[in-house]
Amino acid sequence: MTVADLEVLGAGDAETAPPVDASGKKITGRSPTRIAFDRLRRDKVAVVSATIVFVLALLGLFAPLISDLFGVYVDKPPSRPATQYLLYGYPRPEYGPPFGGLTWDHPLGLSPGTAYDNFAGLLYGIRTSFTVALLTTLLTTTIGVTIGLMAGFARGALDKVISFVIDVFLSFPFLLGALALAPIITNRFATDAAKLEKAQFISLISVLVLFTWMGLARLIRGQVLSLREREFIQAAQVIGVPTSRILFKELLPNLVAPIVVTISLSMPAFVAAEAGLAYLGIGLTGIPSLGQTIVRAQGYYEQYGLYLWAPVVTIMLLVMALNLLGDSVRDAFDPSTRR
Amino acid sequence: MLGYIIRRVVAAILVVIISSMFVFAIFFLGPTNAAAVICNQNGRCTQERQALLEHSLGLDQNVVPAYGEFAKGVFVGRTISTGPGAHYDCSAPCLGISYVTKEEVTELLKDKYPATLSVALVGGVVYLFLGCTLGILAAKWRGTTTDKLLVGSSLIVSSIPYYLVALLAWLFLVNEFNLFPKTGYFPITDDPVKWASGLLLPWLVLGVANSPQYARFGRGSMVETMSEDFIRTASAKGLPRNKVLFKHGLRAAIVPIITIFGLDLAALLAGTVFTEKIFDIDGIGKWGLEAIPVDLPVIAATVLVGAVLVVAANLIVDILYSFLDPRVRLA
Repeated sequence: MTVADLEVLGAGDAETAPPVDASGKKITGRSPTRIAFDRLRRDKVAVVSATIVFVLALLGLFAPLISDLFGVYVDKPPSRPATQYLLYGYPRPEYGPPFGGLTWDHPLGLSPGTAYDNFAGLLYGIRTSFTVALLTTLLTTTIGVTIGLMAGFARGALDKVISFVIDVFLSFPFLLGALALAPIITNRFATDAAKLEKAQFISLISVLVLFTWMGLARLIRGQVLSLREREFIQAAQVIGVPTSRILFKELLPNLVAPIVVTISLSMPAFVAAEAGLAYLGIGLTGIPSLGQTIVRAQGYYEQYGLYLWAPVVTIMLLVMALNLLGDSVRDAFDPSTRR
Repeated sequence: MLGYIIRRVVAAILVVIISSMFVFAIFFLGPTNAAAVICNQNGRCTQERQALLEHSLGLDQNVVPAYGEFAKGVFVGRTISTGPGAHYDCSAPCLGISYVTKEEVTELLKDKYPATLSVALVGGVVYLFLGCTLGILAAKWRGTTTDKLLVGSSLIVSSIPYYLVALLAWLFLVNEFNLFPKTGYFPITDDPVKWASGLLLPWLVLGVANSPQYARFGRGSMVETMSEDFIRTASAKGLPRNKVLFKHGLRAAIVPIITIFGLDLAALLAGTVFTEKIFDIDGIGKWGLEAIPVDLPVIAATVLVGAVLVVAANLIVDILYSFLDPRVRLA
């Protein structure tokens, strides 16, 4: 980052910050990431959303532990025959809400028809959401950044080819990709439940990665195209710094802002996509997912609202918090925002 | 100019060909027993019958000649046989026959398309109008509480996943409180009123859920335009504020918005999958979804047509844009 950039970032900071510490802090020369982080900490929306995301992430991370603590399971059938828990297909009043009071045995009640525990389903659903979103984000970021760096730095024929590939993928909606792959996977692996589960997971991740890496790649390519004409890159080339070092030590640190912003805005999209595909029946079916619970609960919403509301509210909360956090991150990294 | 158009058209055709190969290869090489549906239709499916079916459907060929046959079918049509004595004619734009109903996929597509078209086109107009209006108003009152309220609420609405909005709207507005008529698709030629009432809620939901991004984008574009010199000139020569805003400002600000709209509409046409599934509208999205996992030609056709639509829309937007903004051509 050059001195000019720091000044620009500092000026943007001074606009939002109280005037007293603006002049004092500008001189100390903080890194852009540091400035962004400071802005983020002062942003109430960001703090609240980050807290929500953190709590949900903990729930997902410790899902096995928490469900053990409550003695509820998602992968095991109920300890007694389901008929003992159910009355005309609905949970008996003694097994928690909505017909009975809150019992710590089953805090969110049992699911009608199968008598599986809803709380365990919710916990493991959150776990799935985070796993898919994190894994996909990691892969798309790695692929997007690498390809973007390559295209932008190589220019010429390689850049043309990569740009064409990016355009091809951009012109293919990811929902169609999922629609195309789902039946093939089922057809090929339907014989074995365990294999199908694994195949679905891999195909979900690959569809999400395959149709989302282009955005970041294009962004990075554009940034690299302009950055590589700057003096510090030219200087590095002149004194004979190896290309890999230029790419990762000179260029990459300057791309932190767009990468972080893209990551924070793609997380909610992946969470929403995972649940959405599960809702359509072309996502995960073997592993618990909030989208599946919504499909199952849809028919019971009148008699058993809690069954539907628990996953709906959870997804809404998670996606909204991640989105608002992403938006705050973008604003924090953007020196020109007026808020 | 002509050179640019030709370049873009050639690139688009190339993309279409590549996508069709891609889709064909997935559906040809992917499944282990693609003909299972037809095989199971008459009861017992023996090994020999399966092999016979695969042979007559051409599934035992190599992928390259099979693609050649498929491509030939698209342009001149072909005959598809599902075993001895069972031949089906598939006329010119042939995308195969449905394994379940044995009808031509193209014919079925023609049946389903009006519903998707109705949802996407009117829904698109609703959110374009709603989004632009909100965006312009926010830009007009920039910095005031109204602006902050509009921007803030658009942020919140846009951060809720679309399918949840649609699902809750359907559950509560239609089923619980009967505020809206039952949703579904009824041909406009039969009864326009029923057509409109059946799609009223999907249009509104599409409009509300998609307008925030247009509102935000429209506001940004408008704010940028309003700081241009020609706007200052217009104000300086004493034009009324609204005239400056709508006649001079909007005209310049709307170009990038229309671009995004073109691309969005293509994606919408390619698959209003969630809308159709939730509101029970008989369009291609729901059709493709219901064909899973057995009716492979139908799914392949849905995917292929969707991809072609998106590419075509990209092309049209690019070319139109090059007329509006000469800088694009030179890039």
